[in-house]
Amino acid sequence: MPGESTSHVIGSPRRLAAILAADIAGYSRLMGFDEEGTLARLKRHRREMIEPTIQEHFGRLIKTTGDGFLAMFDSPLEAVRCAIVIQQSMAARNTSLPPEQWIRYRIGVNLGDVIVDPDDVYGDGVNIAARLENMADPGGVYISGGVYEQIKNKLVCGYQSLGDEKLKNITDPVRIYRVLPDPAAVSRATHARWKRVAASLVAVLAAAGAGSYVLLSQRSAVAPEVVASQPAPATAQLQASPAPPPEPAPQATANPPGLPPPPPPLSGVLPIPIPQAAPAATAPAGNTQVAAVPPPQPFSKPAESGTSLRDCQGCPELVRLPGGSFRMGSSEDPSEAPAHLVRVTAFALGRYPVTVGEWNQCVAANACTAALEGNAAAPARNLSWADAKQFVAWLSNSTGQNYRLPSEAEWEYAARAGTTSRYWWGEKVVPKMASCKGCGGAYDPRQPAPVGSFPANPLGLHDLVGSVAQWVEDCWHPNYTGAPADGSAWTEPNCRENVLRGGSWRNDASYARSASRAYYDSGVRYPAHGFRVARSL
Amino acid sequence: MHASARQGMIAAAFAIGACWIPWEAQAQTPAPADASVYIIYPRDGQRIRGGFPVRFGLRNMGVTHAGDKTPNMGHHHLLVDVDETIDPNEPIPTDKQHLHFGAGQTETRLDLPPGKHTLQLVLGDADHKPFAPLLASKKITVTVLPPRTRIKPPQTSRAER
Repeated sequence: MPGESTSHVIGSPRRLAAILAADIAGYSRLMGFDEEGTLARLKRHRREMIEPTIQEHFGRLIKTTGDGFLAMFDSPLEAVRCAIVIQQSMAARNTSLPPEQWIRYRIGVNLGDVIVDPDDVYGDGVNIAARLENMADPGGVYISGGVYEQIKNKLVCGYQSLGDEKLKNITDPVRIYRVLPDPAAVSRATHARWKRVAASLVAVLAAAGAGSYVLLSQRSAVAPEVVASQPAPATAQLQASPAPPPEPAPQATANPPGLPPPPPPLSGVLPIPIPQAAPAATAPAGNTQVAAVPPPQPFSKPAESGTSLRDCQGCPELVRLPGGSFRMGSSEDPSEAPAHLVRVTAFALGRYPVTVGEWNQCVAANACTAALEGNAAAPARNLSWADAKQFVAWLSNSTGQNYRLPSEAEWEYAARAGTTSRYWWGEKVVPKMASCKGCGGAYDPRQPAPVGSFPANPLGLHDLVGSVAQWVEDCWHPNYTGAPADGSAWTEPNCRENVLRGGSWRNDASYARSASRAYYDSGVRYPAHGFRVARSL
Repeated sequence: MHASARQGMIAAAFAIGACWIPWEAQAQTPAPADASVYIIYPRDGQRIRGGFPVRFGLRNMGVTHAGDKTPNMGHHHLLVDVDETIDPNEPIPTDKQHLHFGAGQTETRLDLPPGKHTLQLVLGDADHKPFAPLLASKKITVTVLPPRTRIKPPQTSRAER
């Protein structure tokens, strides 16, 4: 990246500009994989997409480097828009390729007072953009507080504050925001759902088989929830000083060997949900001309139990659960015996079952096969255990976090929420606590209620019982003789039947008991079966 | 993909009135008129002690896994002590009395408490719904005998006896 030398200060005009820095994640790896092919594709998308996109947003391409480019915009808003368009276009281009051939940019945008030469641009305003770019996850856009202040009320996106960061060789800490692309489009899509549904269905009529695919892919766009903009920081401390401190020569280094590859900071955003390659693959920034970042500190503060977290826009909301011991099972049914003490370590569990909206993001990313129709807020269903495993694998890849199905012990621990009674609310069926046959209250035998329609249990979890029966990791065993006591999943090689917990809305109330167990063929879908995700903390 | 086309059309019909598509909106899958499903073992009225196998028979149709929409194929569901009539328009329930064999299994093993029990097979389509006409076996009754209470002499092998 550009260095700074005093000769440029004299006679070169200064101006305030939005600087967009971009580079390709894992460039060396891509080149190692297919040098000529990668270069050809890189040149093509630069010519066909990146250059026109920059122009459309009234920007100027300052220069290109081996794997990146630097652009300058008069308007921070246009710069961020341009960044989002580039990321989404690249995601679209990548969909037809195997993951190892994906070209994914990391983009940083900063607003600063810079020195403009005819063919280059200098100043720490540029350096900050490069640092932001270096921190961004592949496919992601990071912006500085200064940019955020300019666009927060104009560009309706989600903005996730990542706090103040001290950047290498930059005097003052910089506030960093991750752009969560385009909830505006999402909310528009939600409002227009009726129209879209009708339109999609016409498409279905027109082209039966292919049409239904269209329907599903369109629906999937409706899925992610809109996250409001984060509150603005009180001060925007980012202004380039008139005389920037001298910048040492850029170090063209990859991560020093032995340094752990920095995990993607706080996981991936899913602009158009893209399954990302394993985080390790993206870590060494290869040919980038920016100094290696020290292993990033986690941005999130150590969190308390009971609080919720969400790893990305559109990711399932999780609740942090404390570790503890509980008595698993009952004597009410032979399959639930013997009751036994189990110790569970802290983990996070989906607040709701995975919804149709969340599920279809995985389908849109070609990582899940079962396309689902219906209300985006309805629990995803008609899914096999194998389907559920596809989803957690995709989510793990996308976010860099360890998503998985809960173990049966974790599920019951969460469902009991400290209670020892038959149901989490007591010994007897009480109307309006859950939906099931004979549970009282409004009941539609044809479909489950949208998630969150019934009260949460003491841990803040909804729909553990009486919604969709939920797959857990464990293989089916007819009773608990020999079951592990450490909260781990009880698995078997070549398991044919896995455990389902919680009963479904189509079952009677006895299936809504905390201890009730069921099983089903692992590879077979059934309309009342869904799942919720767990995540290791 | 005939079935999905049909689903799409029905979906369109419902789209104006409902946000999502109830699965029941789909018509039933037709079965050949001469197809029949039956229980090979146990026999109707049989008295059995302990766990026992149940073997499923199907004539003039094929057995496949759930989700397979190939015409004239289905998978077994075993109904144990079910008194309610089968709703032709809904997926066959899954619970302790409605056992599914969606992987295409053709036999299972039951351990039932002592007493009289009824068994009935129902063939389901790709979506676990009954065919039209309904393909259900005769509902048979078996009597599970209580375990022997007298102390048995030390077990000897069949060969020694």
